[in-house]
Amino acid sequence: MKLVLTAVIAAALCGGAGVAAAQDYPARPIQVVVPYSAGGGTDLSARIMAEVFQKHLDGSTMIIRNQPGGGGAIGTSAVLHARPDGYTLGTGSQGPLALLPHYGGTDYKLDDVEFIALMGRNLQILLGCSGAPFKNFDEFLAYAKENPGKVQVGNSGAGGANQIAMQAFAEKAGIKIADVPFGGASEAMTACVGGHIDATISTPAEAKAQVDAKAVTPIFIMEDKRIPDYPDTPTAVEKGIDFTWSSWKGIIGPKGMPDDVKKTLQQAFEETFNDPEFLKRMKDMGEFVEYRDAEGYEKLARKDSKEAEAVIRDLGMYGMNAK
Amino acid sequence: MDALQYVLPVFAPNVLWVIALGTIGGLIIGALPGLTATMGVALLIPLTFGMQPILGLNMLIGIYIGGIYGGCISAILLRTPGTPSSAATVLDGYPLAQKGQAGKALGMATIASFIGGIFAAVVLATLAPQLASFALQFGPAEYFALALFGLTIIASLSGDVLKGAIAGLAGVLISTVGADPISGALRYTFGVSGFASGFAFTPALIGLFALSEVFVQMEKIFADEGPAMKVSGRWPSLADMKESVPALIRGSIIGTIIGIIPGTGSGTASWIAYSEARRSSKTPEKFGTGHMPGVAATESANNAVCAAALIPLLALGVPGDVVTAVLMGGLMIQGLAPGPMLFQSRPDVIVGMFAGTFVATIFMFVFGMLGIGLFSRILMIPKRILTMSIVAFCFIGSFAINLNVVDLYTMVGFGVLGYGMQKFGFSQAALCIALILGPMAEANLRRGLLQSGDDVIAFVSTPICLLFLALAALSILLPLLRQFRGQTTIATPAQ
Repeated sequence: MKLVLTAVIAAALCGGAGVAAAQDYPARPIQVVVPYSAGGGTDLSARIMAEVFQKHLDGSTMIIRNQPGGGGAIGTSAVLHARPDGYTLGTGSQGPLALLPHYGGTDYKLDDVEFIALMGRNLQILLGCSGAPFKNFDEFLAYAKENPGKVQVGNSGAGGANQIAMQAFAEKAGIKIADVPFGGASEAMTACVGGHIDATISTPAEAKAQVDAKAVTPIFIMEDKRIPDYPDTPTAVEKGIDFTWSSWKGIIGPKGMPDDVKKTLQQAFEETFNDPEFLKRMKDMGEFVEYRDAEGYEKLARKDSKEAEAVIRDLGMYGMNAK
Repeated sequence: MDALQYVLPVFAPNVLWVIALGTIGGLIIGALPGLTATMGVALLIPLTFGMQPILGLNMLIGIYIGGIYGGCISAILLRTPGTPSSAATVLDGYPLAQKGQAGKALGMATIASFIGGIFAAVVLATLAPQLASFALQFGPAEYFALALFGLTIIASLSGDVLKGAIAGLAGVLISTVGADPISGALRYTFGVSGFASGFAFTPALIGLFALSEVFVQMEKIFADEGPAMKVSGRWPSLADMKESVPALIRGSIIGTIIGIIPGTGSGTASWIAYSEARRSSKTPEKFGTGHMPGVAATESANNAVCAAALIPLLALGVPGDVVTAVLMGGLMIQGLAPGPMLFQSRPDVIVGMFAGTFVATIFMFVFGMLGIGLFSRILMIPKRILTMSIVAFCFIGSFAINLNVVDLYTMVGFGVLGYGMQKFGFSQAALCIALILGPMAEANLRRGLLQSGDDVIAFVSTPICLLFLALAALSILLPLLRQFRGQTTIATPAQ
């Protein structure tokens, strides 16, 4: 009897809790884990987002929690293993989602991710460094073909998106380049401005001041069309090489969230990412906002993951950190 | 005059108020272990969005300068480096506090921070564009030579060269845990994903210096309960000041140079300044026992880094250290991309930031001096309660920095290690230096070899490399030579 009673109460409580979750959501603050240190591009974007988000979901409070380490794997893992109640979300970036699992050593896979909404992309640009023996795309390609393995291209970290992108490009362009890994994008840019490497990858916004100062020269944009800030810089596509690359970030959560909570979140984020205030503040900061729904976001992640896997296998780095 | 017209807005009441607020906030953030100047600046950047550039950026500069200074408070009083840049201040600051001279030690630290800060601010305001190009000369070979020179400090810092070398090499070994800087492969993590970026630095320092000291204090507490400590005075005596002048000058210059070099920060600067002060002192044996010039050297150096690190950032768009890298985000959010063009397009912002640096340094001095009486009251707390509170702070601080439970293991592990090192006379400072410079030496050695096709000649091919390598050789040979000569002079009269 006692057992039955307990079971009934337990069931009632569970049921009650389930209903409460759906109707009252959000009843407490929503945490968004940023798997990088405070002060970076992803962190600042997330903080702007958190402020605007509260307008679009009544009674919500959004808190940003920085959990850096392991190239973003630690924070991302924390999100994907959190209770799927809609109160722990995270920013989902290309590196931790589409690249790191291929090296092994992460305790999650792309299949564990519940995609909610894409916030934006970081466009990529290849820059010729000061003193480099090429000033534009054609010269770059000609020089790289004549000197296989001699062009030293800096990247923001070993096995990171920059390196994978550059190798993917080299493969398609039929050239060989030498990767020079640095501890972060700003270190690589410093080396480029100082002329210690031949080329480096950056974002158009971060490179703008150096390009204007003629400290570095833009070689090509990794999009399919030219962009307004760099009207004279070609794309690889128009030069006959079918190559585009951008990194991205969006909002993810663990699998298994209640459907209505998921819907509420998807709608609130859609409104947030299209809010004029959000768009203006992101633009001022040099961030490229591009909303996509859950499906579009997942498609992008899967496409990049597949492309990256091929490159990582070619480099012989597949599964190198697996236990 | 043009400049004056840009300087005046900084003295508007609202700007002064915001700088004062930033400096006090930074001071508190810096003094609390686990909250660093970097985090303080990062967390407040979004707040500056709606502000005018001159207001927002100068608030961040205030936090930066206050934060780097604030680290010395907990370093001197509690042997807990509030920020990594104050780790070297522990060496002489804490013994001074133990001798009942906490107030004077804090006073000296404040004066030194002020002198270093103002010196670098003058350099920033007068020579920024000229010196900035120096920052760009540093490639892998130069960084490696600098790191190597820094590592040789270990030899001159530890009384026992062998034990110092053991501690230093252990530190280099420990610093290899985590992702390989060139291939990205994980090393020595034993499958724990939390160690993928290596041991977190701040928790390691907190364990190494603070928790280990708690263990040492516990032994004493169980033995007897001494009287509450004295915290007399605030102004260092004239004799102290006189003795510290060379250390102050050296610290300010070293801090400025290191600050200009991108990617090296106040941690490196304060250790090099400390070692130089000790090496050139007539009484090197007094260092480490509570010697004013030791505090003067480290604190003048780490605060000189603040303004100096702004030089490459503003003149070239290349951040001079971690905090200025974050500060770059603060400029970007205002739609101001730092770089050579900014001098022409927005001189008001540039000059405003120069002026703000001076103002914040002055505020830091005033608040620091006024606060000494308050800060040092911490030591009036009975030892057993204070010691237990430090334990709590060690845990909170180590967790707060990355919200990563693994960092707590790191902290406790380094605490036990630090305790063992103290017991058996190994230098914790040597280990700390190796943790800072080991990764820099490794990554740049391998990057340089990669670029030169394994040609070692590349590492001795520029004047900067040769300079630092020569300094490294001197710094190893001089103590040995001195020891040798010391032995012969002692030996002679015996004959």
